[in-house]
Amino acid sequence: MDPRRKIYIDRIVRECVDRAYPSARLGRREDDRARNAVLAKLLSSLEESGDAMRYVDAKGRIAWRATPRLRDIIKDLEKDVRLEFEDEDV
Amino acid sequence: MFNVFSPARISVPFTDRALKSTLDRLESEWEDYKSTRDRDAVYLYLTAVFEVVTWLEHEQRAIEYARHALILRGHHNLAQTKLEPFAAMIQCSVGSSELDEKTRSKWSRVLRYAAEYKSLSESLQDFIKRKGGINRCAARYTLRLGRSR
Repeated sequence: MDPRRKIYIDRIVRECVDRAYPSARLGRREDDRARNAVLAKLLSSLEESGDAMRYVDAKGRIAWRATPRLRDIIKDLEKDVRLEFEDEDV
Repeated sequence: MFNVFSPARISVPFTDRALKSTLDRLESEWEDYKSTRDRDAVYLYLTAVFEVVTWLEHEQRAIEYARHALILRGHHNLAQTKLEPFAAMIQCSVGSSELDEKTRSKWSRVLRYAAEYKSLSESLQDFIKRKGGINRCAARYTLRLGRSR
């Protein structure tokens, strides 16, 4: 594996990483190297929990996207939120 | 798709737990396929297997992880033999009693054929259908690639 590669992630994985990043970086330096180490750890954790999956994208690059399971969960949550808003309108 | 720009590029380890989660996901896709009468549902399962092996091939680690997957799933004997990664991932996600060896071998040939000839932008389902279906793709693999490998 090329140890020096860019990371391509979809919107859902990006949101997961953004949300987890502040607590994951606690106690680390604030430079690119430390930031990338945290990002790698977060992506690895998302793969371990079955929330993110690696694949080869249409441009032939390794990328990460949300697994079907996580996409389904988010879809259900969004539906619940929508229904709650509709109820409030009544 | 976001590009998280990082001047110092990074490496993301693929751990044992990540491999196990991947196998669990493939199993789940298989269960979904079994529970539906939709003829096209098989393509979702085959696509899931195809995507896993394709990225491992991209990293030139398909054999290594296929062997590891077989060991994780208790197929120690198979892990000692000459390995074909697509067949191994199917073996790891489908019980032996649920899929006969002939079908597993056929699906593996189809996926190998797609790995060789499918463009990155075309979906596996579209490719297989365009090439005449699963049986035709398996036959094409045997004709074009099977005997020379």
